[in-house]
Order: sequence, then structure tokens, then C-alpha cells
Amino acid sequence: MSSLQNLDKLFSKVQKATHYCGGELNSVIKNPEDVKIRYAFAFPDTYEVGMSHLGMKILYHILNKREDTYCERVFAPWIDMEEEMREAGVPLFTNETHTPVKEFDFLGITLQYEMCYSNVLNMLSLAGIPLLSSERGEDDPFVNGGGPCAYNPEPLAEIFDFFTMGEGEDVIGELMDAFNEWKEEGGTRKDYLKKIAKIEGIYVPSLYDVSYNEDGTIKSMAPNCPEAPVKVKKRIISDLDKVTYPDKFIVPFSDIVHDRSNIEVFRGCIRGCRFCQAGMIYRPVREKSADTLVKDACALIESTGYEEMGLSSLSTSDYTQLPELTDKLLALTEKEKVSLSLPSLRVDNFSLDLMERVQKVRKSGLTFAPEAGSQRMRDVINKNVSEEDLIKSATLAFEGGWNSVKLYFMIGLPYEDYPDIKGISELAEKVVECFYKSDKTNKRRPPSVTLSVASFVPKPFTPFQWAAQDSIETLSEKQLFLKNEIRNRKIRYNYHQSDVSVLEGVFARGDRKLGKVLLRAHELGCKLDGWNECFSLEKWEQAFNDCGIDMEFYTRARDYDEILPWDFVDIGVTREFMINENEKAKQALTTPNCREKCSGCGAAKLCKEKKGCVCFE
Amino acid sequence: MNNNYYLRYEKTENVKYVSHLDFVRMFGRALRRAHLPIAYSEGFNPHPLLGFALPLSVGYTSECEILEIALTEELSTEEIMQRFNRVLPDGVKILSVHEGKSNMKKLDIALYQVFPEKTPAGILEFLAMDKILIEKKTKSGIKETDIRPDIKGIKVTLGKIEMTLSAGSRNNLKPEVVIAAMNKYIAGYNSGDCRYHRKQIFDLEMNVI
Ligand code: SF4
Repeated sequence: MSSLQNLDKLFSKVQKATHYCGGELNSVIKNPEDVKIRYAFAFPDTYEVGMSHLGMKILYHILNKREDTYCERVFAPWIDMEEEMREAGVPLFTNETHTPVKEFDFLGITLQYEMCYSNVLNMLSLAGIPLLSSERGEDDPFVNGGGPCAYNPEPLAEIFDFFTMGEGEDVIGELMDAFNEWKEEGGTRKDYLKKIAKIEGIYVPSLYDVSYNEDGTIKSMAPNCPEAPVKVKKRIISDLDKVTYPDKFIVPFSDIVHDRSNIEVFRGCIRGCRFCQAGMIYRPVREKSADTLVKDACALIESTGYEEMGLSSLSTSDYTQLPELTDKLLALTEKEKVSLSLPSLRVDNFSLDLMERVQKVRKSGLTFAPEAGSQRMRDVINKNVSEEDLIKSATLAFEGGWNSVKLYFMIGLPYEDYPDIKGISELAEKVVECFYKSDKTNKRRPPSVTLSVASFVPKPFTPFQWAAQDSIETLSEKQLFLKNEIRNRKIRYNYHQSDVSVLEGVFARGDRKLGKVLLRAHELGCKLDGWNECFSLEKWEQAFNDCGIDMEFYTRARDYDEILPWDFVDIGVTREFMINENEKAKQALTTPNCREKCSGCGAAKLCKEKKGCVCFE
Repeated sequence: MNNNYYLRYEKTENVKYVSHLDFVRMFGRALRRAHLPIAYSEGFNPHPLLGFALPLSVGYTSECEILEIALTEELSTEEIMQRFNRVLPDGVKILSVHEGKSNMKKLDIALYQVFPEKTPAGILEFLAMDKILIEKKTKSGIKETDIRPDIKGIKVTLGKIEMTLSAGSRNNLKPEVVIAAMNKYIAGYNSGDCRYHRKQIFDLEMNVI
């Protein structure tokens, strides 16, 4: 193993050398000679995005706690750095020891969003690692994928050696143990893959064969060896109070997206919005106790010196011990002169009071996420917010002195019609109106309402996984329609690029056939697609054309009896539950959240420990 | 009453690409980790009272950086040094701590060491030039400036060029600009890539700050 020398020549020429050179506070320094396993953890986007990601911090910490393992970080280099590297013939290397990634035992890549797939390929190519799993030799690292996109890994099936489904804290250790055993046994690469296929939560795509019907849909998918299970079950941590949480975060020198320490309040979400993948794949809800969280917070303040502390979870307002937690945290942060950064909370008297205490003076914007404009549509998506709730909350906010609010919506939802879209502008009007109706608002500071409208992307493991996705043209038409509906100058309208959404949807619900499109797109130079200045729809369209693959095959609606590429994954939540939810959506019927009434989604069986889990409250 | 101290610290290879602003923030966080009773500014957004001398360019190392701090309690200089050094990232080290305020406002001259790939055979002709004109980009376009008055001295030894240059808010000349001029005016000379190190800072009378 060798760390690269003379990188200074590269560093001195690029804009953000600190993104590549390592040496940050709390980054782990080990002597590579002293360990048996070297694990390169990759975030396939730039440093400032990747370093903000909590999952990476957790696994980095857990792997490095092992004496036999050294985990290092690697990110997608920005364009300037890539140019310098390619010109100088420098392969992708880790931040910690500047060792070429190719020399590691593992390259773990976290897949947070579909639009990073091109970066995955580009990073492999920069590393000099064969892009296809089948072409890798005994000396190449095992390429392991995880994160939310791994729940439908099929577009990447030929690229990755294996995937980890679900929460990684336990399974990552089992993978390392299996590696040591395998090394002692002296097996081949394939032997290791067969060995870990038996570990719950591990999917080795090369051990499965897929056949297709004439229309391109899947005819069958089955293991081709006895080691591989028919169904791959996701892993979860049952008791979050017992799982290791980092007591140290790496503190980057340069600014990153979320530059603060963070505590993880709970996993999962009780709500069950029908479009939301996170709300399904992270089920069931498991909470950490307020005491554990305060302990986590203390450790992080001490070890990082960060001036800001954040809370991380979906829908944080649903945390059962929120008042107790915030009281304790405020006492702590005030003493340590740290500011508490609140996630967006459901707006009510409690949260407004809390914000008042936390922010003291600055009354910047508040956010609401009604997600759909009409009540019918909100019932379709099971977003249990009524117009009355929203107006009440907005009035409270305005009366409390918050004069700018942001509303999040989606268009292109299943069963949507133009009146539903019109409902978005009508709702926004009513929010503006409620400011003037109240006699307790400050009329000298007129309200501003910002609409942020995203395009719906159907995702695997949601009740809408069978739904058709609107075409780029339809989405643009709907965006334009809405734009014309908005006449009030106090309402500002922002919308997202619909071409990215469609591509995202294609890969989210893609199958193995998309692997060659990814390879072609890589050849055409697609990378950093999450960045507007780099994304090129034309190149992607060309890649699809060159491969003779029609995007519409992937945006179409599916029948319940079609085999979906991700059907082999068991996330706990049953197929019956999803179908039932979709049927209810068609009739605009809502489903109560987990705390109101358990709907028997199937996730309860995943929890070995009842403490802290919503299914056993 | 606040107690004033100033610290001399070094910035080495490991952290030389950290910009000055990022360094300021890094020190703020280090102060919190060190549990030093730092005095905060008044107002809505209190920030720790820190003062830095001349910012160091990205990519430079230094052994003469100065940081002024104000503490709400009196602590021994050894204590401050220990607490700080325990929590600083590799590559930053406090070399000494002194009571009171530094003379950094009087800073006028700095001594740099430059390590080029190749040193020039002689420097005398270069220094004998009446004017050393370089092109400088300004808002109104490219302007020619004479840097000769800001060069107080240059000494060349094997593998190393030492430069004493104007520094601070009045006139500030960066050694990389001098290297560019040497490449331009010394016949046949090509420095190649250089490393830059700030060795010492002085006031107008060449008293070390
Ligand atoms: S089993 Fe019931 S309580 Fe548990 S996650 Fe599913 S619906 Fe919610």
C-alpha cells in the first residue's frame, strides 16, 4: 500500500484543496500497516454535500472503532480537481492517507439519490477500478452500495459487487468479520460474495438471474446458487439507545452544507404519506430517549466545538419527548454558547414559543408542507393536514411576527387534475388573506408567501410505486398553468427542473437493463448531475437512444401483477399494505398515523426490542 | 475587565490550504473545546473576541502568526498554551503565549522563505534594476506597478530564496509576485513550483513583532 506523493502540485492548482487533503479535526489517523481491513467510504458527490451526511459519520465511526479496520473517506472531485488528476495520471485517493482507492479491500458507496449514479461510475473510472463487477479481479476492492437507493439497486446491479439493505451499524461489522474469515480460508472473490449472501440484509446481484417477457417486463428473478436467499430482508437497529452514536464528528475546515453537530432523535416516520419513500423504508418509528440525546449532544459539543447543534429525523414534531428534550438542550446550549438549530416543526403554540426562545430575535421564514393544493388531493396522498389547520398555523405565525412563510407543494401526483393544481394558488391566496384578516398582525410589514413546487417522482416501496409519472412536457405545462394562476404579487413561485425529476423517476424504478444506459452516459461525460451547471438532459437522452431504451417504459403505470425489479427486497412493510393504500388513495380515503391507530403495515415484526418502538406503544 | 493575551502560532504543511477565514472559524471552535473563558462581543450575535495579524495566503506555511484573545479570567500563559495545543488540529501549534496586546498594528515588513525547484544563479542584477514593473489586475483593467520599493532585500542560498518585503495594510507585496518578476526579468531563469513560508514579521524599524 502506498500513499501518493507530490499531490501538492495538484492541491496548489485547485480551488478547494481542503476538500481533498484531509487533516481535519477528528479525522481518524491510523497506521495502515496496523490494520487488516482497509475500507474506503465514498460519498458520490462533492465534499461539502457528503460531509454533511449523517450516515457516513456513523459508519466511519463504527468502522474505525474496530482495531482491525481503517475506514477513510473519498468524495467526487470537482471539475477542476478531476482535470488535474486525469492530466497528472493521479488515481482517485482517500482524504486521510492519500492512498489510491483501488488498493483498498472495500469501496463502500452510499447512494442517497439517483442523480449521483453517474458520479459512481466516474469515481470508479478515476480510481482505475473496472466499472463492471464481472470484470473486477482478485486484487480489486469489493464495491458495496447502501443508502435509500439501494432498496432498488437493479440499475446498478452489474456495477456493484453487493448491496447492504437497511441500517448499517450491525451488518457492517458482520461483513468485516466475514472478510477476516474469508482471508484465513484463502478463498476467491466469488467465495466471499457467496459467504456474505447468507448474511441478512446483503444482496449480491451476480447471484441472481433475471429473465424478461417480450414487452420488457420481468418474467422471473431467482437466485442461481443456494447461498442467495429468495428475499433479501432489510436490517434495522431495534434499540437506538443501545446503538453506537459518534461522540466525535469530523470538523471540516471549509464551509459545508450542514456545518454543525447533529443528534439523531428517531428513525422512521409515523405519518405514512403515500408518496414518501423515507416514510415507508425506515419503518417502524424507533425513538431515542431524551437522556441519550442530551448525552450525545454533550459529547459532540465537547469534541467538535461546533457553534451550532441540530436535530435530525423525519417530522421531528412527532418526537414524544420533544418538550423535555428541547428544555434540556436549551439549558445545555445556552451554557456552552451554542445555538440550537431547529428543524422545521409543525407550527403551533409550542413550536412558536420554542422558536422564540431559540432564535431570540431573527424572525425569518417559516415553512409549511401541505404538499397538495386541494383537500381531495391531500387525502389522496394521505397528508393529514386540513386547510383549517394550515390557516390556523399561518395566522399564529403571522401574529407571532413571522411575516414570511414558505409553502411546499408537489405537482404531477397520481390522480391529480387541474383543479387540484389551481388549489395550490388558492391556498396561497388564503394564507395571504389570513394575514390581513387578523387584527394582531403587524400591517406595516406586509407578508410574503413563497411557493416551492416540486415534481412528484414515484418511488419504489411506496403506495404510488405503480403510478404513472408525468412526462417532462406535462409537468412543464402544469408548472406554467400554476404560474398563470398566481396573480398576487405577495406570492412568489419557485419550481424545480422537471427534466431532472423524470430522469430520477426512471432510475428510481429502473431495472437491470438501465445499467448499459449508465455506462453509455458515463462515456458521454455525464457527471455531477445534481449540479445545474453540469446536468445535461441532451446527453442523457442520447445515452437512452444509443442503447435503444425508451424512458417511457419506466415512467408508465404498472399493474399489481407485474413483477417489479425491487420485489425481492423485504422492507417489512407488506405488499398488501401498499396495494391497500393505493386503493384508498384512488378513493381519497385517509389512513391514520401509527400513533392514532396501527394499520398493521407489517413493519412491527422487524423490531426485536419493544422499547422505543411505536408499534408497541 | 478582560485580560488580553497574544499567541504566536505556526501553520504547517497539513493545514496550509485552509483559508484565513476558515482559520478564524477553526480557532473559534478550538476555543470552545479548550474551555478557555473567552470574552464575547456585545450584541445579538455575540462572537468571541479574536484578533489576527496579517492574513496568510492560501498555500503558505508560517511560524510567526499572531492571534490576540481576550479572556474574562486571568490564566497563566502556560495554561493557555497547554489547553489550546491539546485541542488544535494537526498542523497548527501555539509556539508561545504572552500577556497584553501585541504590536501587530505596527506590522510593516515580513520575511519569507521561498523554496523553488530551481534557484537563480545571481540576484544582484535583478536588485539593481531601477524599476521592477509587473502587471497587476485592477478593477479598471491591467496596470503596471513598480514593486522595487517594496523589496527590502533578497538573499539566495542553495534551494532557498529569502525575501524581506513590505507587508501590512500600507503596502503589501507577496513573495509569489516577486518570483513571477524574477522569472520575467532574470534571463533564463525558471523557478518551477515554489513553496512559501512566512518566517518573521517586523515593524518599520525591523523590530520583531
Ligand atoms: S406495524 Fe403499525 S405501528 Fe408499526 S409501523 Fe406499521 S402501521 Fe405503524
